[in-house]
Amino acid sequence: MAGTFLSNKGVKWAFLLPALAYLMLMAILPLVWTLSLSFTQWDANTMPKPKWVGLGNFEYFLLKDKRFAHDLRFTAMYVGISVSAELAIGLVLASLLSQKFKGKNFFRVVYLIPMACPPIAVAFLWRMMLHPDIGVINSILQAVGIGKVKWTTSPKVAPFTLIMVDVWEWTPFMFLALLAAFQALPEELYQAASVDGANGFHMFTRLTLPLITPVIVTISLIRAIDAFKLFELTFGITGGGPGSSTESLSYYVYLIGMKWFKLGRGSAVSWIFLVILLVFAMLLVSRFKSRELTVKAR
Amino acid sequence: MVKKLFVVFAIVLCFLVAANLFGQVKVNLKVPITVLVTDPHIQVVDTWKPLWEAQTGGKINIVLVPYATVEEKMWIEFRTKAGSFDIACIPGTWKGDVMGGGHVEDLGPYITKFGYPGWDDVMPGAKVLVTWAGKTMALPYDGDNHMTYYRKDALENKEYQAQFKEKFGYMYKLPIANWDEVRDIAEFFNDWDWDNDGETEYGVAFIAQQNTQAMWSYLDVVAQYTTMAGKASNFASNIFFDADSMDPLCKSPGWVEAMKMIQELTKFAPPGLLGYGYSELRQAFVSGNSAIGFDWGDIGIQEQQTVTYGSKVKGLLGYGPLPGAKKYYDRQTKKWVEKQHQVNFLDFGGWMWIIPKAAKQKDAAYQFGTYITNPEHSLLDVCGIHGYTGANPWRWSHFKTIDAWVRGGWGRESVTNYLKAISDILQDPYAVTDLMIPGASEYYNSVDTHLNGVLSGILDPEEGCQLIFDDWKRITEERGKDQQKKYYRASLGLK
Repeated sequence: MAGTFLSNKGVKWAFLLPALAYLMLMAILPLVWTLSLSFTQWDANTMPKPKWVGLGNFEYFLLKDKRFAHDLRFTAMYVGISVSAELAIGLVLASLLSQKFKGKNFFRVVYLIPMACPPIAVAFLWRMMLHPDIGVINSILQAVGIGKVKWTTSPKVAPFTLIMVDVWEWTPFMFLALLAAFQALPEELYQAASVDGANGFHMFTRLTLPLITPVIVTISLIRAIDAFKLFELTFGITGGGPGSSTESLSYYVYLIGMKWFKLGRGSAVSWIFLVILLVFAMLLVSRFKSRELTVKAR
Repeated sequence: MVKKLFVVFAIVLCFLVAANLFGQVKVNLKVPITVLVTDPHIQVVDTWKPLWEAQTGGKINIVLVPYATVEEKMWIEFRTKAGSFDIACIPGTWKGDVMGGGHVEDLGPYITKFGYPGWDDVMPGAKVLVTWAGKTMALPYDGDNHMTYYRKDALENKEYQAQFKEKFGYMYKLPIANWDEVRDIAEFFNDWDWDNDGETEYGVAFIAQQNTQAMWSYLDVVAQYTTMAGKASNFASNIFFDADSMDPLCKSPGWVEAMKMIQELTKFAPPGLLGYGYSELRQAFVSGNSAIGFDWGDIGIQEQQTVTYGSKVKGLLGYGPLPGAKKYYDRQTKKWVEKQHQVNFLDFGGWMWIIPKAAKQKDAAYQFGTYITNPEHSLLDVCGIHGYTGANPWRWSHFKTIDAWVRGGWGRESVTNYLKAISDILQDPYAVTDLMIPGASEYYNSVDTHLNGVLSGILDPEEGCQLIFDDWKRITEERGKDQQKKYYRASLGLK
């Protein structure tokens, strides 16, 4: 028996080890390495070796660097608005396309196209279309009598331009997940509610929404974490501008680490970024759990 | 018999020339070389690749990356030493980090070993660009400076000139003498159809889009208000730092005045100016949308391309140096000096070819580098025969071979004026050189970001300059003030 157990255990480990080794090599080691770098100054283009600075980098970002604070605020605003809008539009679309009507499959496919495009290609495509002077969108707006919009060159408009493109690209994800959730809802519940005299609105708010809440929270969490890493749209459409009005935290990390090659400071800001993301994710997950319990209690 | 002897002699001569080209030193061409290049220089590599391969038996792999990512690609190679490319075309403004950091080959031994075609033909500015601490660390390839372009059909129109004089009470000079004149001309020609093509034209256009080299548009103005031309010293032909204290000059009255001027100019520019990177500017300007433009030599090349770039201004452009200013701030006396003057500024400095220390095929890379930058081949790349390549004239011979330019699509008079404008700038011994110390990328990101803040109305000029100053001070201190000062003084030619 013991021999069988050992051999079973051995087999398990034999299967697990490659994956563990891969994880160690590709995820854990870089994390540890960047953590150790975050306590150093290493301007890698001119300094041959890192120099120990203790908590200096963290102190810089958390207490002194206004750009970091600004970028964090912008990113949070971007995540909040874009994910909410995507959820709302995705909900409406999923609700509509879960009904039975002719040609719904066509629309289902069409709505998925933006999500299938590579984000960087999306960014450059929109950059061309949104160009204030030669972009097709302003040409159309002018043709119908609306003036030119400073899509990417006004600090007041540019943040919302990025949000608009994000919503265009990622609403299909919300739509797809919610559509699946809608189709999995038990028909009998609705029949029973109908017999009890519930109207469409009541059924949606009292039945549909509570039932799909776990899906909503999960996809919101996934999208929020993804949106928090905003990079391609900033890089491709606005370059962080005008000024720093659309500079996301990821873009700032990129500048520090990949453009200026300040690897110590880049590692520190990456770690701060990671911790913020973890806290954010934990908060959402805990809310999800409490909401799930509430729903079950009902 | 004599005929046979002559043939034999000719064959032997051919072999000798071929052998002599590389000092009779054998180069291993069995392994392909990898060339890292960005658009539009790919045009040059694509042109010469098949010829070089056919002539030498070598093989070239091309890694094409967009301008925005060439820097990270290069630094990843420098840090990892993976040998991912053997030769790369990079901007001269990075030389402080690239050469100062010791990441590229000293090409002196290669020049000794293999020779270099026409070194005496290289203009002094281009030689300075590829030199670091007295060593040749790159192959010259491009002569870069901003210059003024103006529409002759507008600015030389007698009727418009009379109207201008009536409105402003004076007559501007051509080429335009100073930024005040630019402002007035831009206002005059802004927002009406002065070339009667049925479309509205604007006064002035320049690169203003963030993250696409807009800081050089601003530095064109800074150079005029911050210093006077002279043998480089702390107070002459110096615009970035106090060379003694290494304090940034970014909030000096000269910088602030320049910021106010460039902000003012945006009022007389196309509405989408802040979306003008270098590509958009060139495209817009040659399509005829503005009276004045500022750019490297590239607009001149695209001006000739009526099909590829849809130029509507062929033969209609005038060329000149950067406008000067009616005054400059003298930091010695801490007073404005009211005097018409002009300073040339070698923005960007030009592209150059470097061979990384970790390159695997250095000899072959050097051979390819000299092949594309030799006098005959480089002429075809700069004069328009190969279209728009992003390379501007940098050899003495480029300025003398007018016929080649005419073959490249230029009018004889146009190209003569164009080359004179560039040659005057490149030969100016007092031209301000670009910022070429370690951290240049970070320093310039700060200028770019806050300039854009000012142009888009988020910041006022004083705030913008103060923020740049704060950033520059911090960057300098973080990188080591003494070290940076040493590099900076060296870049000015000071001890």
